[in-house]
Amino acid sequence: MKLTTKNLALCAVLTALALGLSTLENLFPVSLVVPLPGIKLGLANIVTVFALYQLGAASALGILVARCLLGSLFAGNASALLFSLMGGVGAMLVMILLRRVRGLSIYGVSIAGAAAHNIGQIGAAMIVLGGTAVLGYLPVLLGVSLVTGTLTGFVASLLFRAMRNIHFTQ
Amino acid sequence: MCAALAALMLVSLTACGKTEEPERQELFAMDTYMSLAAYGDGAQEALAAAAREINRLEQELSRTVATSDIYKLNDSGSAVVSEETAALLKNAMTYSAATGGLFDVTVAPLVSLWGITTDSPRVPERSEIDALLPLVGSGHIHMDGNSVTLDDGCAVDLGGIAKGYASDRVAEVLRQYAVTGAAVSLGGNVYVCGQKSDGSAWSVAVQDPKNTGAYAMTLELTDVFAVTSGGYQRYFTGPDGTVYQHILDPRTGYPAQTDLLSVTVIGQNGTLADAYSTALYVMGEQAACDFWRQSGGDFDLVLITADGRVLYTPGLADHISQKGADYDFQEVSA
Amino acid sequence: MTSKRSQPELKPKPLDALVVLAVVLLAVGAAWLSYGGKGEGALTATVKHRGQVVAQVELSSLTEEKAVSIDGAYHLTITLDKTGAAVTDSDCPGQDCVHTGRITRAGQSIVCLPEQVIVTLEGKTPSADVILG
Repeated sequence: MKLTTKNLALCAVLTALALGLSTLENLFPVSLVVPLPGIKLGLANIVTVFALYQLGAASALGILVARCLLGSLFAGNASALLFSLMGGVGAMLVMILLRRVRGLSIYGVSIAGAAAHNIGQIGAAMIVLGGTAVLGYLPVLLGVSLVTGTLTGFVASLLFRAMRNIHFTQ
Repeated sequence: MCAALAALMLVSLTACGKTEEPERQELFAMDTYMSLAAYGDGAQEALAAAAREINRLEQELSRTVATSDIYKLNDSGSAVVSEETAALLKNAMTYSAATGGLFDVTVAPLVSLWGITTDSPRVPERSEIDALLPLVGSGHIHMDGNSVTLDDGCAVDLGGIAKGYASDRVAEVLRQYAVTGAAVSLGGNVYVCGQKSDGSAWSVAVQDPKNTGAYAMTLELTDVFAVTSGGYQRYFTGPDGTVYQHILDPRTGYPAQTDLLSVTVIGQNGTLADAYSTALYVMGEQAACDFWRQSGGDFDLVLITADGRVLYTPGLADHISQKGADYDFQEVSA
Repeated sequence: MTSKRSQPELKPKPLDALVVLAVVLLAVGAAWLSYGGKGEGALTATVKHRGQVVAQVELSSLTEEKAVSIDGAYHLTITLDKTGAAVTDSDCPGQDCVHTGRITRAGQSIVCLPEQVIVTLEGKTPSADVILG
């Protein structure tokens, strides 16, 4: 990745957008259903999906890490960082692998990413809380990920359609 | 197509996982921990409404909330209270008269002296207690419609009745929703109604006062209120090692000296059950049994005595599903 | 100028269904792992602090005592072992949570009001739905 000013500015805007989505997620208190600290829907994955396709893996990862660090700074607790990092990085890895698979649309990639996001979060919960008992929440979260993944894919597809003729990078 | 498929999967997933689990709600209110569970289509709404009702009552009846009826009454010695507060005070006075003053909301100054509801309980001097004893007695409450006046220095604390009243109100709220069964515990003030998803009644265990890991007995109940009072629930240890439990005898101003470890009152009125469980605990075994006989069987009782017996009234005989091994069980004669 | 990183497929493809299927299978697998494998008497201890789960442990999986610390306005130590749970230490004023003692049966709970801590035991066959006292 060439670190041009344009690139940097774009990454910064996307990071801000991801942070905004992270905040928006607090309006959907998943913790009412799954009472674990730090569990989130994963709407910020929209930005990850977009960045991954438009800017490539390196930039997408940079945006993700910046979002997690800043987000936990705002939330003010370290375990939130672990939750968002494990969720975010898990989603990213799966999507990096799957986006090369021909025959998979952006929906399939997003759903897999959302599922990986929630698996990563449960992994974080297992580390923080110690023990495998929290695995019981995984089926519920995976069910939720089908919806959030579809939503993420839908929003991203709208974006790509709208921006078909706009090129961010040379 | 994909979205539809996903939605379908989600529905089937949640449907198979949720058939047997009730909706639950927990809250900290009225200086206690409350947990509510309900089955039925309207369970979630019903529990939310119940929680709102509990919070509303706390604002009205708490002694420590500065805008409450009770705070204003204690603060200025007289107040015009809500219809509801007035009715509850009237009930409290009735229960006080019925129990010979062993349940009495005017015990408040003594409760404050002992610091029982505060962070720093202490053992007061005899002279301090004697100075406050004359302030105890429902005769110090004067009511004219909704306007209430207290004699000088007196105060009321509805702590011994408010949770019971809240359980009555919660029962009323649940009735307005599509609830097929519910079990509610407002800091030990229990209300059960309807049935569980498998059609069975609720199993209600009476805590073994001597062994926290065990139950003295288990009852199968529904559509009743139940409250247990016992000194083992809340106590503090004085500087000399003496254990002081939280239920005061309004006659002496000291923690109740009783041959009972706990009293459980089961009946159709949560407020009454709350008030009577405290009074009967202070009374002791003999007086409590007599009191029950004279009351004409309006309610049922489980008394656990210090010498290891569980006494239960005949109305409960068919509801007992388990008896604690460490106790002798006896039916109270009518 | 038109070298895009990769142009995604914007319309759902048949292969996407495979992803959905994989997620569902994972969910079923996880459900089986956490609910199916449990024995009749298995107890799970859950510690909640101000509404949030801070520890959830299947007691039978413990080989030695496990301490859970709560740090808020007050400090509590909750000790979990193979068969039960207890608040073994607290600097809260009332000490009700410590006085509650050890709980060993599904359905029982320990509550610390000032710090809003709830320790509950859950199991497949709860000993009671509600506990009086």
